[in-house]
Amino acid sequence: MGDAISTGSLLETATGRNTGAADWAEALRDRSRAEFAALGLPNRRLEAWRYSDLARALSETVRETGSLPTCHDMPGAYSAIFENGILDETQSSFREAGALPLRQILADPASPFVGHIGGVNPQDDHPLLSLNTALMEEGIVLRVPAGTTLEQPLHLRFDWQADTIGGRHLRVLILLEEGAKATLVETHGGSPSFATIVTEVRLAKNSELTHVRLERLGSSGRQSAMTLGEIGASARYRAFYLSEGGHFSRHEALLKLAGEEAQADIEGASLATGTRHCDNTTIITHAVPHTTSQQSFRGVLSGRARGAYQGCIRVAPDAQGTDARQMSRALLLSHRAEAATKPELEIFADDVKCAHGATIGELDADALFFLRARGIPEAEALSILIEAFFSESLAMIENDHLRGLATDAVQDWLSSHASEVSSVE
Amino acid sequence: MLEINDLHVSVHGKDILKGLSLTVPPGEVHAIMGPNGAGKSTTSYTLAGRDGYDVTQGSIRFKGEDMVPLPPEERAAKGIFLAFQYPLEIPGVSTLTFLKSAVNAQARLRGEKELDAVQFLKLIRETAKGLNISEEMLKRSLNVGFSGGEKKRNEVLQMALLKPSLAILDETDSGLDIDAMKLVAEGVNALRAPDRSFLVITHYQRLLDYIVPDHIHILAGGRIVKSGDKSLALQLEEQGYDAVIGKVA
Repeated sequence: MGDAISTGSLLETATGRNTGAADWAEALRDRSRAEFAALGLPNRRLEAWRYSDLARALSETVRETGSLPTCHDMPGAYSAIFENGILDETQSSFREAGALPLRQILADPASPFVGHIGGVNPQDDHPLLSLNTALMEEGIVLRVPAGTTLEQPLHLRFDWQADTIGGRHLRVLILLEEGAKATLVETHGGSPSFATIVTEVRLAKNSELTHVRLERLGSSGRQSAMTLGEIGASARYRAFYLSEGGHFSRHEALLKLAGEEAQADIEGASLATGTRHCDNTTIITHAVPHTTSQQSFRGVLSGRARGAYQGCIRVAPDAQGTDARQMSRALLLSHRAEAATKPELEIFADDVKCAHGATIGELDADALFFLRARGIPEAEALSILIEAFFSESLAMIENDHLRGLATDAVQDWLSSHASEVSSVE
Repeated sequence: MLEINDLHVSVHGKDILKGLSLTVPPGEVHAIMGPNGAGKSTTSYTLAGRDGYDVTQGSIRFKGEDMVPLPPEERAAKGIFLAFQYPLEIPGVSTLTFLKSAVNAQARLRGEKELDAVQFLKLIRETAKGLNISEEMLKRSLNVGFSGGEKKRNEVLQMALLKPSLAILDETDSGLDIDAMKLVAEGVNALRAPDRSFLVITHYQRLLDYIVPDHIHILAGGRIVKSGDKSLALQLEEQGYDAVIGKVA
């Protein structure tokens, strides 16, 4: 069960916890703490939080309904297992990938990562980013040296099994040096009372990161996650984000295409039922000429679930030759489900290609009847049509194993929620 | 096989069928012909059990059993097949996956054993070959990018795989040229059997040159106004619906 949480209680829980950190880390935290104290928890009066009232979600006492979902396994991957927000080194193999625990970095007065932590695509006036930086203790830092390929994916597994008190704030930093390649998989399972997770990725020239996020929170789970990225020249960021929502679930992809020919491709899938909330927010900044971004978000909402997609494309004044595409599609399976979609284009260059499209609709009744008339029961027919709806996104995942993992996640959801989605009202 | 008695159906509160009665014995081919707005598509959708087609009076009995309370999938499993006038395109669902889901779903509903992948592939290869349907077509998304003829051949393939006792062909000739129509008709004729009945719903007589019916019924104003043998189709073709129905009235 998650208890009520406020700006004040969040700051209090941190007092006395931050021991053993180096001066640079303490200074970074102090600065961020002051920023968060000034900004406070976001509520819907802020345009960026219009569809996601975190202050309100945290003021409520929530009870778990149904069984607690667990994370997907990834045998063979380098792993970092977090139990209720605490890194469990004994179960993890991340050191084999050259990764280090955040604690160790924060304690090191001369860490080479100073300036990177909190330095990737920094944001002004972002209360949750400040909160996370102020209170971060646990996390993982990975640097992949120039020209090398991380053989196995790095799997960050966040399990929230039992009740946690207050908030947990985790930080991940991934640095790919020139020409490096890696795959990062995050799986989130269970119900954090309140978690913020910030993943910073800095991709140097010609590097390539594949990022898969599979978020399966319980119905009382409250989590706000951010991926901050800086993508260098001819570097590529490819992502697949899947979320099943939660009492509060938000993921922000804040990416800056910082070098020419940099590229970002994101496929997003959300599936939410009951009274869950699921927010996907992106701000893609094309900072230099000749960069490309493509994002496509699909959502299926049933019951009284609420989904939001906010997608902002910013093109800097001299970023000529930008190619930016954005698409969002939501499928409402119930008359009480809600989808909000807000595309924003801020274009300050003139030679650019920007395309955006958004649709919100119902499942095709003709297709449903066609399948049923061939003997396929309603629940199975719905599953077939929903899987078909996501098939294009899933097909974009190039790695067979990862595509299988994501497809399994969609199918798992369909089989465990078949009874809820079959009652189209 | 099929007994429809005094069937009244309303769609969105509007009465469309107003006392339709029809009996189709096993092994026979019956055609329903009628002008636009007579209730032809309503008849086929009602028999298949589509939501929103409300039976307000009368009965539909299939092999002696009342069909009205049953959902579409159960009617399909009991042997009713509707060949759609406009087969649906479903991107993201391969034709093969769809066919396997349908065959096995019906087997499950009937309490029969499902086919494994090998058995199913063998069955479908044999059946598809006879209908000139390539493996490449089977791998594509259901009906996506198929020509009008390919879509209708795909419907016949489904019919051949699902082996219904009653096949309803809803304006199967629409959108087909003569060659495509002949191919579809050949496929249908190959499925004629003593224990299988057909209800061919059409506006034009030409399909009935290729699928020759035992009986023809004229549907107008939501009920059967005239029945006869295949010569009735020729009479309609020569004189038009107004003249023939006018004589009845």
